[in-house]
Amino acid sequence: MAEGEPTEGPITAEMRAAAQALGWEEDLLDRAIDWGYSPRTVVSALGTKLAPAQAKSFLDREPLKPDLTWMDAPTEWGVRAEQADADMGLTVGDIMVGSYGEIPDLWTDRTEIARGSNPQVGQEDMGYTIFEKAVVWTDSVADLYERAIRDRWAPATDLGWRSLEALPDEVEKAICQVMTEHSERAYAEAAVLGRWLPEISYGFVEMKLFMSSVIYDLARHAEAFRKRALSNGGGLGLQAPTDLIRGATEARTYPELMAYLFVQDSAFLTFFRHAGDLAQNQLERDLYALVASDRERLMEYQVERFEAFLLAMPDRREEQQRYLAKAEVRLAREWNDPAVREPLILLLGGSRENVAAGEAALTALRRRQVEEYLGHLDQAGFIRSRLHSGLAVYLEEPETAPA
Amino acid sequence: MSAEPTTPELDLSWLDLYDDPTSAEPTKKGLTLDAIDIGDYASQEDLPRDMTPRLRGASARENAHRQGLTYQTKHDVWADQCRSLYEEAVQRQWSSARDIPWDTLKELPDEKERAICQVATMLAEVEFIAGDVPGQWLPHISGDEFEVGLFLMSQIMDEARHTDVFRKRALANGGGLLQQGAGLGLRNLIEAQDFTEMSVLMHVQAEGFVQSMFRMGELIGPTQADKRIFRMAAQDESRHLAFGVMHLKHVLAETPERREEIHHYLDKAEDRSAGGGSGDVTFPPVFESLCILLGGGKDRFDEGVAKFLLLRRRQVKEYLHRLDVAGLGDRRERLGSALAQYAN
Repeated sequence: MAEGEPTEGPITAEMRAAAQALGWEEDLLDRAIDWGYSPRTVVSALGTKLAPAQAKSFLDREPLKPDLTWMDAPTEWGVRAEQADADMGLTVGDIMVGSYGEIPDLWTDRTEIARGSNPQVGQEDMGYTIFEKAVVWTDSVADLYERAIRDRWAPATDLGWRSLEALPDEVEKAICQVMTEHSERAYAEAAVLGRWLPEISYGFVEMKLFMSSVIYDLARHAEAFRKRALSNGGGLGLQAPTDLIRGATEARTYPELMAYLFVQDSAFLTFFRHAGDLAQNQLERDLYALVASDRERLMEYQVERFEAFLLAMPDRREEQQRYLAKAEVRLAREWNDPAVREPLILLLGGSRENVAAGEAALTALRRRQVEEYLGHLDQAGFIRSRLHSGLAVYLEEPETAPA
Repeated sequence: MSAEPTTPELDLSWLDLYDDPTSAEPTKKGLTLDAIDIGDYASQEDLPRDMTPRLRGASARENAHRQGLTYQTKHDVWADQCRSLYEEAVQRQWSSARDIPWDTLKELPDEKERAICQVATMLAEVEFIAGDVPGQWLPHISGDEFEVGLFLMSQIMDEARHTDVFRKRALANGGGLLQQGAGLGLRNLIEAQDFTEMSVLMHVQAEGFVQSMFRMGELIGPTQADKRIFRMAAQDESRHLAFGVMHLKHVLAETPERREEIHHYLDKAEDRSAGGGSGDVTFPPVFESLCILLGGGKDRFDEGVAKFLLLRRRQVKEYLHRLDVAGLGDRRERLGSALAQYAN
């Protein structure tokens, strides 16, 4: 042991010199030792260079006796969550055990308390507005969240940027217009969803974890689309039409928001699933596939949440027709916007010379989007009573040409 | 009657918008946001800020809706390096399910398990708020500064992971959640009425205090899994903290007249809680649990107290250093009393 290093026994000269240098009262070290502080603790206090008053406050009293009543908080104790699937690791679903896995139909605590911990009396209201399970919840959220993390990808490095080759000018511009539109749409949806996070109480923490992953997915989509637009001799085109996203911003409640977004989330998922048809290279095929994979999780949440909501609140079923209608009319209008429609016609047709083929392919894509949208509603147990004519038109059988 | 949707003639005017053909080159870190910050698409100081959903560089639609009020000057929200911080966030995402060596958890003495569970309970609250706060600011950031929005979106993901990992820790080793935290200071963050106010309170102060604590995780964590949790979370917090420091530096450089206003936010926050928005570590359940972990048991509580004081000193010292780096070195002279006692 080095000379002067205190562990036991009397206070060393070095300790007294250090105390003096700090201006501590002359007998403070002795009183601290007499009262039961260990020499090591006194050395630590010297090491922190406590001011004289602070040192007196800390050392010149009975050694601190911890209260420790928090150890007996009346919460469920003895929980040892087990991994259900070693490949997935310890998941959020795995820790939803015992009382910690009980999601209340109505969460009543207005503070930021972690669900399952013992409330501290007198806490401030944090301003949450969503306390009903049926409004936000579906049982798959924990799994969806873990899948989002497992399937993460990075636009900067997981796409073959160096593989891009020059494309005909109009084709490149058409791609850039599609990318401009979807970069903006993804970013705007993330911003809208972000605004709702502070509304949702801790009772539904697992749902908020999933929604956080959705926001992050959308951020990467916005990033990746922008990167594609700026990486192959093109640029950004005309901003996306704003009617559709504006409706999401206008939503007054979370159910309205989700019903409204159901329409675009479904339509965009179908679009990205089939966007390989307009891809000009492997990078774009990979990009669309990765985006579609992320959007599948969002749509799974949308369908299951909607189903659970309708079952729990059947009196609100008819109201949803209005939100869907509002989104449908705007979606149909935007589908006819030249900067939305024409790049797809060019890409699906291959060139300006094949407009008819491009239009036919786009009509087929739109039909598929409407069919899958109705399919998603059907999965949620919802019958759309009055599909907007701008979408319904795609479901009608085309007139057969005479033989 | 044909059932085919009507197909208007092609307009194609959108083909005429490309004045600046752009071919960003991938770097050794891939195609990064810095790599595409070029030509007409680069961030600029004097752009008119757009209140529609348009992202910087796209051509504006004449009939585009405004989406609500957004900041009109770059310096209100900007942080140098926000692009690289976002890219780093994307590259360094980790999984609380698979990147923590949960199999290294071992049965601990009851007092230690309860202590780490109490700390985890407090952190599961704090990190929850830290995800809500950036969310509420996203609509106020103009698409001209979309990179700031992307960074905040990555932070939302980080905070979700922190909320989840501390909850997992509490429920993974024979313990449970314990006492709710004191809550002091957390509302400061959600109450902020200005982006810089939010950033200085959350990124610099609250996340700074949390970061200093996480970096003592080697002393606090009783198992390898615990130490790893603190290390991984600290890595994320470093980015949030860097954003806050760089934003504050930018604001002070561009608008030095805001100095007193920023001091005022800090005055209020330091008066309100010893831990700022990081959760109050002097709240008895948190203070005592940290002392048990730092000291090595409740029979070595006084040693824990001494190390706790070191932690507090470190928190305050690093807080002042970060403010100094940002250009607010005079904070030292007006530090709130709850913190000033640890500043010398």
